[in-house]
Amino acid sequence: MTTWPVAITGLGCICAAGGTVPECLDSLYAGRRAPAHPTRFVSSHPTPFPVFEVRDYREPPELLRTSALAVQAAREAFADAGFSPEELRGLRVGVCVGTTVGSALNDEGFCRAHRAGEEPDLFPMERILNSNPAAVIARAFKCSGPCQTVVNACASGTDAVGLAASWIRGGICDVTIAGGADELGRITYHGFISLMITDDSPCKPFDRDRKGLNLGEGAGMLVLESEQVRVRRGARARSFVMGYGSACDAYHLTAPQPDGVGLRQAVAEALSCCAVAADQVSFVNAHGTGTPDNDRVESRVLAELFPGVPYHSTKGYTGHTLGAAGGIEAVFTVACLERGLIPASAGFENADPELAGEPLRSNREVAGGFALSQSLAFGGSNSVLLFGKGDAA
Amino acid sequence: MTRLLVKGIGVAGAFGTGVESFQNALAEGRVTVGSIDVATGEGVQTVPAYRADTAGLEEFVPKRALRRVDHYSKLALLGSYLALKDAEMLGADLGRIGLVIASGYGATATTYAFLDSLISGGDNCASPTHFANSVHNAAAANVAITLGIRGPSLTVSQFDMSVPSALVSARQWLAEGRVDAVLFGAIDEVSELVAYLQHRRCGPRHAVSMVPFDAGSESSIIGEGAAFLVLTRDEGGPAYCGIDSVATGNIFGGELSLPDDALLLLGADGRSELARRYLDAVPAGGKAACYTPLYGCMPAAAAFDLAAAALALKSGRAFASPAGPSLFAPGKGDVSRICSLRLAGPSEYATVVMSC
Amino acid sequence: MDTKEKLKQILVKDLNLEEVTPEEISDSAPLFGEGLGLDSLDAVELVVIVQKHFGVEIKDMEEGRKAFQSVDSLAAYIEARTAA
Repeated sequence: MTTWPVAITGLGCICAAGGTVPECLDSLYAGRRAPAHPTRFVSSHPTPFPVFEVRDYREPPELLRTSALAVQAAREAFADAGFSPEELRGLRVGVCVGTTVGSALNDEGFCRAHRAGEEPDLFPMERILNSNPAAVIARAFKCSGPCQTVVNACASGTDAVGLAASWIRGGICDVTIAGGADELGRITYHGFISLMITDDSPCKPFDRDRKGLNLGEGAGMLVLESEQVRVRRGARARSFVMGYGSACDAYHLTAPQPDGVGLRQAVAEALSCCAVAADQVSFVNAHGTGTPDNDRVESRVLAELFPGVPYHSTKGYTGHTLGAAGGIEAVFTVACLERGLIPASAGFENADPELAGEPLRSNREVAGGFALSQSLAFGGSNSVLLFGKGDAA
Repeated sequence: MTRLLVKGIGVAGAFGTGVESFQNALAEGRVTVGSIDVATGEGVQTVPAYRADTAGLEEFVPKRALRRVDHYSKLALLGSYLALKDAEMLGADLGRIGLVIASGYGATATTYAFLDSLISGGDNCASPTHFANSVHNAAAANVAITLGIRGPSLTVSQFDMSVPSALVSARQWLAEGRVDAVLFGAIDEVSELVAYLQHRRCGPRHAVSMVPFDAGSESSIIGEGAAFLVLTRDEGGPAYCGIDSVATGNIFGGELSLPDDALLLLGADGRSELARRYLDAVPAGGKAACYTPLYGCMPAAAAFDLAAAALALKSGRAFASPAGPSLFAPGKGDVSRICSLRLAGPSEYATVVMSC
Repeated sequence: MDTKEKLKQILVKDLNLEEVTPEEISDSAPLFGEGLGLDSLDAVELVVIVQKHFGVEIKDMEEGRKAFQSVDSLAAYIEARTAA
């Protein structure tokens, strides 16, 4: 399979690491992170687990927090790309957003009341039905193109960006806003605790003593643009989507295939799109959740496919933001590639003798032209994006 | 635009299981509507619903392998096996096949069951099995695991627009040569939650049959089922029909552009707020049909529209609308091109144009 | 009913063990892999089951692995923590 590159002209991000892309990068390069016990909800679980909440952000009452976060990141991304609302209205703009909770009919208060034999107010359900993340962005920016909310669990954001690039190449849209968004709440918090893959201390991706992930929340969005529109506008490409690969383990609902069969296939596909060789890749933003299984499989595949290539996990700064993770990490990968500097893998201290390699211990300058971001999900989905360096600033 | 072919169909709904049952229901224009009991503030109420049975799955998968698989995923598995069998691909190498599933609401029963475990057992007794099965892509995961599909997998949830939106991406996979075939399907289930919401919206007096062309009345009846298609690039060979184009998005002002030489297959499903938009979309003198009274009101119904259109195109004869007023009740007529139209909200639209 | 019998009934029901009856589960047979054929997702579900039905907390999987060898070992684990 051969495809051509698609330009990225704008980035937006809101997560625990910061409210904008520059704020997030500052935190990453400074090694700042602040996981803490949840403040937005209470739990009667005997063990408190740290999470990465977005502080100082309140969603409007009529929207799910997930979708409000998505709009916030999209606004930054459109502004970064230099698009005014009027300009967008004259173009075919598509929306492709990954999420996990953003479209589930999942409201605890409503369920509780219904179970108790009450007739609960329908507002929480109506809010969900009005909050499909892609549809909310389309309404907010009057996007006329296709709307797609991708629900591929923790790979959703990565898939959304890969699909968006394909829509541009296929001539379906002039511009696509793509990424991921997810809020943190009691349901996912207790769901992940029940799977026993959360760490009761700050997460330690790839570390010998890693015990699991910390959940986070946020949104990461990218503006992808056709060359025709970009050249006409004279907009600078911050980066290019060079490749996208996705493959299924077909193995288990919650455990990754131990040899990383699907991940290998996804990497191979992403590299093949523009015929980039593995040794041209200058760094990898790994999924690196901090769970024993994920990090074992991932480090094994990285060591075999990308020997000597530096890799890091940014989940130590953001927590695992689920459907948003692929979007946020795509934004980070692009921004780090552009700047030529990658942050240390937060939370990593002691090398695990069972793992083949180790992630970056300190910030490192990189010179190369390509970087990879990978996501592994529930259900055995593996998705990989390959980014190429954009125009000089 | 790359033209696609529909190579296989797998359907399960209130009409039964498989293409033959579906075709019979379309020809007869009749299906028995079932119901679901739901707890409300005024006691248990019976809500009419189109129910689908997944017993047919035992032909394909041993019961033991299904012990953790919920109704939502069973529907997906059943649709998948039927479609692959129909396309004569069961047992074939599924290495270069992609999997795309659209669902408006996901595994709502399991989602509710997970909340139930949290509410009844307390925060330290949440069920991990329910949690894992409550994610929207659990069905795709179960299909991939059971059938050994190792290509890319995508689940889309865009409420009423889930099916056409997912079709846009499925088509791109084929157009770019990422895969050689896509197992494309849609599922939605009738759960207590969905039924309760319907009851609150339309109860206590529920419609007993859907009259989608009557813009004045609310007559939606919730439905469930699976409609799966095996899609390939148009490289010849036997097929039900081709898919010429897919368009979806929002119209902010301006007019919907529809082909003038195609039978319009309307997705109208008895919801009063959309009926007028559908009727207004039909141009003067245009021909329209609507088959939703055979499978019910659910986002996945858009895939049943596509399956029905494919069957009509294969035989070259349109099925009569089961519940049409004189204006749109086309007698059985020759048909070579169908445009499936789905509308949602004030501005969302989708058209899928199919031809022989 | 003794703990073992109760456990077997709960296993069959809560893990939805199709085509297996409580009587068919032997006290000493392994629960995971060969034997009952349970997997990692069942293991975490078992933690919840033990908490819910017996009020016994299994803090992590290392502890769980020891307890989940067989019905014998799990019953002993539960009884040791509920006896007091």
